[in-house]
Amino acid sequence: MTQIRNLIDENGKRIDGRGADELRTVKITVGAVKNADGSAFIEFGKNKILAAVYGPREVHPKHMALPDRCVLRCRYHMVPFSTDTRKNPAPSRREIEISKVMRESLEPALMLQDYPRAAIDVFVEVLQSDGGSRCAGITAASVALADAGISMHDLVASCAAGKVDNRIVLDINDEEDKEGQADMPVAYMPRLEQVTLLQLDGRLAPEQFDECLEKAIGGCKMVYEIQKQALMQRYFGNETELREEVQ
Amino acid sequence: MHEVKRRYVVPGDKIAEGNFRPLMNVIKSGNTLIATRIGIAETGRDGVKVIPLSGVYIPRVNDLVIGKIIDHSSLSWEVDINSCFSAHLPAQDVFGRDFSPARDDMTKHFAIGDMITARIIAFDRTRDPMLTVQDRDLGKIPRGELLRISATRVPRLIGKRGSMIQTIEQATETRVLIGQNGIVVVTGRSPEGVNLAVRAIVMVEEEAHTANLTQRIKGLLNVPDTQPPQERGPLVAGATKPAEIESTIDEVEEELEVEGEK
Amino acid sequence: MSSSKRSTIIVEHLRKQQMWDALSRGKRLDGRDFSETRPLVIETDVIKKANGSARVKLGDTEVIAGVKVDTGEPFEGLENKGALIVSAEVLPTASPYIEPGPPDEEVVELARVVDRGVRESEMIDLEKLVLVPGKIVYTIFVDCSVLNADGNLFDATSYATVAALLTSKLPVFEMQDEKVVDSGNTQPMPVTSVPVSITAARIGDYVLIDPSAEEEACMDSRITITTTEEGFCATQKGYTGSFTPDQIKKAAEAATIKGKDVRAKLKGLEVNNG
Repeated sequence: MTQIRNLIDENGKRIDGRGADELRTVKITVGAVKNADGSAFIEFGKNKILAAVYGPREVHPKHMALPDRCVLRCRYHMVPFSTDTRKNPAPSRREIEISKVMRESLEPALMLQDYPRAAIDVFVEVLQSDGGSRCAGITAASVALADAGISMHDLVASCAAGKVDNRIVLDINDEEDKEGQADMPVAYMPRLEQVTLLQLDGRLAPEQFDECLEKAIGGCKMVYEIQKQALMQRYFGNETELREEVQ
Repeated sequence: MHEVKRRYVVPGDKIAEGNFRPLMNVIKSGNTLIATRIGIAETGRDGVKVIPLSGVYIPRVNDLVIGKIIDHSSLSWEVDINSCFSAHLPAQDVFGRDFSPARDDMTKHFAIGDMITARIIAFDRTRDPMLTVQDRDLGKIPRGELLRISATRVPRLIGKRGSMIQTIEQATETRVLIGQNGIVVVTGRSPEGVNLAVRAIVMVEEEAHTANLTQRIKGLLNVPDTQPPQERGPLVAGATKPAEIESTIDEVEEELEVEGEK
Repeated sequence: MSSSKRSTIIVEHLRKQQMWDALSRGKRLDGRDFSETRPLVIETDVIKKANGSARVKLGDTEVIAGVKVDTGEPFEGLENKGALIVSAEVLPTASPYIEPGPPDEEVVELARVVDRGVRESEMIDLEKLVLVPGKIVYTIFVDCSVLNADGNLFDATSYATVAALLTSKLPVFEMQDEKVVDSGNTQPMPVTSVPVSITAARIGDYVLIDPSAEEEACMDSRITITTTEEGFCATQKGYTGSFTPDQIKKAAEAATIKGKDVRAKLKGLEVNNG
């Protein structure tokens, strides 16, 4: 007999005790990699992810340089001990796909035309993964890019929503991803109100789709505040003298 | 002194609304002015700008830089200027127009690893920066203690009309060469003086965005706060700076000094 | 950061001058004595999904090691022993000179030298990790990732490996109807000794323990020596220069003396984890 586990109990609590609209605990440390031009370490629930940016820097090989803008390269990679079963260090197809969508989620925010003939390299290393690692990776990469002083229109914040026990919930973890019904990672530039990453894995009715997208965007906005706070803390610490409210 | 509003910003932050001109590191979206980098935003009469606090050095024509010789072809040296592009120093600049690779030995002049002060004479979106060492005080740096700071902190280290760096030099009996690209070389008579100068420079870099910095630096150096630095001809690389940055530093220094007195 | 396409740092002549000046006075650029190591910080159990893990900071060099335990076939010729393999990668986050890709010869050497230290010291009693002799044994994977490179990856990676193994919780596997079953219990790793690696670089006639990246860019040759409580178990001379026999003896002495301090620190971890 197969036991169907309830992922949401009768009080609306999820298996890790969260409510439907609750984000996991997110903590960002800016400047975690000394040699990099910009970096951030993020703990997004049990995800532990390091993002490092080198750039703008010279493009090698030279023929890959673009005359009018910067080349953006992204690598999403998981270390072997980051998952339940050991992962081979060589890049998997999943990592290659995520590297691509990650790059495409960050590029709209960056002013690449300011750095012609140069390259910006973004490296995202997943040290421990627990559902939503690509969202956490994009979030950290965005902070690392700001830390590196790259000109950008806005920070990119990322968060997923999903369907679990027929309910739309925010920020699904690993178990909810494995046993749930749908997973929708989203990346968003809050000031511009633009979605830069959208994927769906699973089945959603039309109204569920809208609800899921809205919830994920709401999650992105929460993550955005945490990104800003982390950068302010790192650069300005407790100095608030210059801080003024501008309407 | 005209009204200037300042605040700390990160990319995407709204700085002001209204009929302001977007200046460096600021874009205008509709009626709103937005920061594109982390730094100190200034809203003034002439526009809105952000003084950045992080970022790799981007070369500018006329900048004085300190570079490292890393390679040479038969016609030029390749110089690492701590930027996103390598710079080139043509052999002709050193040997003259009738330079001949067969007769003139490039390695005798500059070896791999040598540090030089140079000026950027050409740079645009289509080619790497080109350097010259044909000015007074340019060329190989024979000795000194080497430091690297963020290029964004160089204006603060130089100070209003060179005041910050001169305060440090005089108090420690050192000479400090500063490249706009963030490379700094300190020479001095005594190791203690050099070490103290290095500590002061590191403090300026770390606290460039704060108020009362000059006071604290003077405290570190045991210099009375009321004593202004003696005027001296600038031996500092970066004496020629773009006017925009110069005026910004004047304002920042003034404003922060005033705030400190409150 | 530098835009150099080189794979190694070119050290500025000013720094070299300063370095020789300092060496003649018995000091290094960062103020250390010749046999002084940089501050060593070890954090264990940082990756909960791994059976064991450690994050090591040796100066600014940072390495994280994770242990994953499974079952599989024994190595050929070692039918009555569990299988252990140490792998390493230098992540492209670690320095501006790293290109992403499969490990190059330097990284392969790094992994094999660290592996040799663990294996030849018989740190883990692999005979205790056999389920069906000749057929099914425990397989222990130690994977090391260098997060930030500032010299002496050998020692940092070795300490991360040893710390992760010392504090690992092994699953207890059982055979049921010729199938491997995880009983759900855990056991400590069967440890018999604690190997400690000490690396030295030769610059001119000076032999310097725990080289920084800048010192490695100036060095003529390098030697890594791994000791146990009883003596030596692994050695690797690296890089393109040479050593006099006397210099090697001095390095070996330093490896024994410094090794004791590091061993005490590593053993301290074991106690905390129970």
